[in-house]
Amino acid sequence: MDKNKVKILMAKPGLEGHWRGIIAVSSAFRDAGFEVIYGGHMLPAEIAATAVQEDVDIVGLSILSSNYMRLVSETVKELKDRGRGDVMILLGGIIYKEDFPALKEMGVAEIFLPGTPLDEIVEFVRRNTSEASQKVS
Amino acid sequence: MADGQQVCSASGIPIKNIYTPEDTKDIDYDRDLGLAGQPPFTRGVYPTMYRGRLWTIRRLSGFNTPEETNKLYREEYELGQTGFSVAPDVSTVVGLDADDPWVTADIGHAGVPMSSLEDVQATFEGLPIEKVSTYMADRCGAVNTAMYFVMAEERGLDLQEIRGTTANDLLSWSVPALINQPPPQAYVRYAVDFIEWCTEHAPKWNPVSFDSYNARDCGLNAVQELGMLMATAIQYIEEEKKRGRVSLDRFVRRFSFNTGLHNDFFEEIAKLRAARRMWHRVIRERYGIEDPRCALFRVHVQSSGSTHTTQEPLNNVIRIAYQVLAGVLGGAQSIHANGYDEGVCLPTDQSMLLSIRTEQIAALETNVTNTIDPVGGSYYVESLTNQIEERAWQYVQKIEDMGGMAEAIACGWVHREYMDATIEHERRLASGDITIVGVNKFRMEKEPYEVPIFRWDPEAPDKQIERLKKFKKNRDQSRVNQALQELERVTRSGENVYPAVMEAVRAGGTLGEIAGVQHKVYGVWHHPIGV
Repeated sequence: MDKNKVKILMAKPGLEGHWRGIIAVSSAFRDAGFEVIYGGHMLPAEIAATAVQEDVDIVGLSILSSNYMRLVSETVKELKDRGRGDVMILLGGIIYKEDFPALKEMGVAEIFLPGTPLDEIVEFVRRNTSEASQKVS
Repeated sequence: MADGQQVCSASGIPIKNIYTPEDTKDIDYDRDLGLAGQPPFTRGVYPTMYRGRLWTIRRLSGFNTPEETNKLYREEYELGQTGFSVAPDVSTVVGLDADDPWVTADIGHAGVPMSSLEDVQATFEGLPIEKVSTYMADRCGAVNTAMYFVMAEERGLDLQEIRGTTANDLLSWSVPALINQPPPQAYVRYAVDFIEWCTEHAPKWNPVSFDSYNARDCGLNAVQELGMLMATAIQYIEEEKKRGRVSLDRFVRRFSFNTGLHNDFFEEIAKLRAARRMWHRVIRERYGIEDPRCALFRVHVQSSGSTHTTQEPLNNVIRIAYQVLAGVLGGAQSIHANGYDEGVCLPTDQSMLLSIRTEQIAALETNVTNTIDPVGGSYYVESLTNQIEERAWQYVQKIEDMGGMAEAIACGWVHREYMDATIEHERRLASGDITIVGVNKFRMEKEPYEVPIFRWDPEAPDKQIERLKKFKKNRDQSRVNQALQELERVTRSGENVYPAVMEAVRAGGTLGEIAGVQHKVYGVWHHPIGV
């Protein structure tokens, strides 16, 4: 396994079933050379446990129902409880703009709405992960 | 566009610069088109179409709690909506009760929670269910529909007269990544049991609405959409043919359909026309069913959420209006115009009103309803109708070669098609091969305006959990246990399960408990989505 590869866990906390966005983004990450673990539906505690076990750099959450405040804060808490508050959290889906500041305050590194070009998301990861920038440059 | 450049429809059918009689010369009017209300029904399922009766204006809705959804339905009824369309929340779709730890964060999201008979009663409190028709976007096994039926019985209504539709459809069920589901073959068993039961006990209820809306929203094209839709209906008929419990003409008599409405305007019209002809062929030619009523492709259509953008959401008003117009010109029986804010939030009161008005304006101001199938006879539309049909049959054949739709889902092929379509769509979007105004073309640096948003009630989960706890405390637990045991016995026996489902509901069994029996017998299926 390439230690320099950015490792990303992609998950949908909660039950809501829209998977199109997370699959598109996961594929783009994979094609960009990142190591992607597709977790699908997971409870916040499962996401955190998997993030620890797999030693991931990033957790990508996809939420298209309006319950993201609760699900994100639970996921962040579970990660912190396991000593992995350093994991970068990306959030995609239908997220209200007025909630962006609160989500960032919670620890979300960036939020991507539907219609965001996949390149922009990949670029964000490259720019914000040191290992990756060494690798691509 | 430049001359000589290949232009294709959204489903990849090459489109000519202009169409002439040469393109329709093989059409035999009586054989391929005919009048509306006459085989093969290409031009419409009823002889008078919208001059006889307008389409039903129906919106899929539900949110927060049964009480709030009830308030919404009363408003919709006042606004002139003629049918209700129940969107269950995600916990209900998945088949978990409100008091299950998995669902707490999701209660009341994207639909109304309906764990128990009491929730269904509260949702329809004071609404004249004998006067309207209700669509239940029900999960596997039509459990919420059983609650609706038991409520009707308790109101003293005759199930023989009750009108509505249950989704009960393998295809739409297969799409959302749901946890806690039985395998596809088990789904078909429950679905066919329900249809059999309805033929005798609720003959005016549409026991299935074969539904390609979700599949289309994954990125499938119109040809794949029709192919999967027909293959799913064929799968059900094959199952009943094997069982031989109900004559096929009775079995299919009230089949109904549901499709998406996408951006390629003429292709969508042609799709609905082709679908009517295909369904007639399935019934008449493949199964030899004589009753022409069985061959009616009665369809509810809905503007496709995946075409509605988060950027400049007001642009969706226009997209939705065009899609609704395609549905009208395509001869749909029932239409749902989405909220323009679909890509931003759940619909607000304002967007809900606008979607009803969108349909009313199309119906009452534009005069497009004055004559039936107004695009019929267009060289282009007739040619496109033929080509979609031809390609869709090939797709049906492909699925049948795999052993039918349930098998095609079980082996992962269907989900591979969904995921390929998703990824291909992104590729075409990035390359500019397809245009979405305001997204990959004419995109603004900064969003030029904001629209009002819907706020979900953060107290909804607690209210719902509380209600369910009370419901469970007040019921006769031994009667529930007995009913669930009987349900398990019947499920294992291969008899029709639905009478036992009804009895479990009457006894106070909840959705989660009834779904639990499904899992006990059939196990849980792993949804084949991933990278």
